[in-house]
Amino acid sequence: MVDLIFTVISLIVIVPLALFLGVIYSYLLRKLSARFQWRVGPMLRMYGDLKPLLGTTRLLQPLYDILKLYGKETIVPDVSRRRLFVYSPFLSLFFAVAAIFFIPFPGMPLLSGVPYSLIIASYLLIASILFTILGPVASGSPWAAIGARREVELFLVSELGFVLSLFAVAIARQSLVIWEISSGGQSLYLALLTVTAGALMFVAMLGKLHIKPFDMPEAEAEIVAGPYTEYSGKLLGTYYLTKVFLLYGLVALFISLFLPPIATDVLWLPLYIVAAVVLVFLLTSVQVLNPRYRIRNAINWYLKVAIPLGVLNFIIALAIWLVV
Amino acid sequence: MGIMDKARIYSPWLYHLHCGGCNGCDIETLAALAPRFDVERFGVQLVPSPRHADILLTTGCVPKQFIPMVKRIYEQVPAPKVVVAVGSCACGGSLFYDDAPENYAILGHPDLLIPVDVYVPGCAPKPEAIINGVVQGILKLAEKRSKK
Amino acid sequence: MSTEIKILKQVLSKYSKPMTLTYPSGVAPDRRYSQIPEGLRGIPERDKDKCIGCRACYFVCSGRATSIYDKGEKRTVEIFLFRCTFCAHCQEACPEEAIKMTNKFEIAVPNREDPAARVLTELDLLKCKNCGTPYVTRKLVDRTYERLMEKIDPIVKETVSNDYKKLDGYCPDCRRAYGVDLDTHTKKYVWLEGV
Ligand code: SF4
Ligand code: SF4
Ligand code: SF4
Repeated sequence: MVDLIFTVISLIVIVPLALFLGVIYSYLLRKLSARFQWRVGPMLRMYGDLKPLLGTTRLLQPLYDILKLYGKETIVPDVSRRRLFVYSPFLSLFFAVAAIFFIPFPGMPLLSGVPYSLIIASYLLIASILFTILGPVASGSPWAAIGARREVELFLVSELGFVLSLFAVAIARQSLVIWEISSGGQSLYLALLTVTAGALMFVAMLGKLHIKPFDMPEAEAEIVAGPYTEYSGKLLGTYYLTKVFLLYGLVALFISLFLPPIATDVLWLPLYIVAAVVLVFLLTSVQVLNPRYRIRNAINWYLKVAIPLGVLNFIIALAIWLVV
Repeated sequence: MGIMDKARIYSPWLYHLHCGGCNGCDIETLAALAPRFDVERFGVQLVPSPRHADILLTTGCVPKQFIPMVKRIYEQVPAPKVVVAVGSCACGGSLFYDDAPENYAILGHPDLLIPVDVYVPGCAPKPEAIINGVVQGILKLAEKRSKK
Repeated sequence: MSTEIKILKQVLSKYSKPMTLTYPSGVAPDRRYSQIPEGLRGIPERDKDKCIGCRACYFVCSGRATSIYDKGEKRTVEIFLFRCTFCAHCQEACPEEAIKMTNKFEIAVPNREDPAARVLTELDLLKCKNCGTPYVTRKLVDRTYERLMEKIDPIVKETVSNDYKKLDGYCPDCRRAYGVDLDTHTKKYVWLEGV
């Protein structure tokens, strides 16, 4: 009974917490990439003489963006399939938030202890991304259609890498429950797997979050705003919100799968934050150092590098299972 | 001032509408977005689709062929919106246009088609002048909200 | 990969110092502010005391921003900044050096009728002695006389000077009408052709 109450409370607490952390991560992503480009980026401390007008800090800049979008007019194009167009962002958001419930946070196991939580979480993440494809397809805009098509192609290959890395870990740890994986110990072999499968998961994250070498679905210079071309106001805000939750969710999933036992006990919280910041820093440095791939290059790259790496992971995982 | 009004002031998104002109203003506008004058400090972002924009930044003297596009793009920007005309071309036609004799190819300035809220004269204006214009645009945006 | 590491190193070496300049401008010593380069052409300004209303700036204006019109007893010389290209042609052409390009450039204004969008100079017009029509500024007459005297052939200097004084204060219409009465008819210059 106490457990149940604690779980319910933590489920309620995690949503604002995930939003806050997701906003901070996106802020870091923007700020760091700005600093890589020798810019200032959204200011942490506004210039003294502009404070009354522009606020003291822009730490919550991504949140302001979302709030502003919620305060704007929402335009629904005539040619769109209205229902799918309007509901997709909300469904996408719903699945992203649902996925978060299955990923542990230090001190809060949430629902990560339920059987098959790894599969549930990965399905929910996939469903969330699926609805960021379906909505744009329903909008009737050619740019959105091209963007969505690119996203589907990217999704097919990046998902393969994602799933391969998840199951390599699952096999090595002999568990499909995230909580069990994230509270397991470390050994030399497992550390090796962490490096290879972690790298694969990292690459899959790039594809899911549209970070630079894999941001062709949103390529501004070519296809307007890609899938989001026709979205405006509240619907766009919902998509941005989804992105924030997705960023938090993927970072949390990465930490809980590959860096156990950081995501279990509340005492690990400082280390958790450090790990998340380092991960965001790595994502940013990949983003600023790479040009955008063409979709064909991306798929080739995945087939040549990521998939063999995934197979290698599997072999390592099997070896760990059989030998250790 | 509510949090929504604050958010509106804190995160204005720009859509850059180039209609005619010599490209001088466009280069200066991009300079305002680039590292040296980085407007992302103040939350301004360049967005690729007019549907995401709050501020429509127009440059150039509107060739007649461009009239339907200008109108359409203006209508695609969702409600509280502000138009900032950058450069003498977009403010009054400048070199390319005169009232008489009428020009067969050039309409003059976007003001004749869409309501412009802030004018930034200059040929081309310095990036600081463009930032100044955008800041005035943001203030107008806040005003528009509170009137509603 | 090695190129990427090289780029990363290069980026990180300057990492602590962003290139961005502080906005708006100020004077704190530890910050870099946007500088106004030498010779920046900002908005033109006109010295009201020097301007004689001669229209030279109107004829050379490249953006057709300058306009000159007479209204009542005032002559207005106006630069409509929305059309001005900040080319400084007017500064070069002005015989009195009344126009100076300043380095002010932050002049965003909310509407066309805003006073900040125009550089206006109002000059008093001289009334015709005979019919009372305002026709030219006092300074323009005087400066034209001075310049004429500087350049003219010494042989006719005195005659022209006398004529000029006789004509002074009459509008072009009245001059034509009363030319014979004033004894300034151009016929008397005919003999000069032989000189
Ligand atoms: S105002 Fe001047 S610089 Fe700008 S587009 Fe027109 S001619 Fe070019
Ligand atoms: S500003 Fe100079 S050129 Fe223009 S009317 Fe006055 S004196 Fe003449
Ligand atoms: S600076 Fe050039 S465009 Fe402006 S008023 Fe002078 S001559 Fe005309």
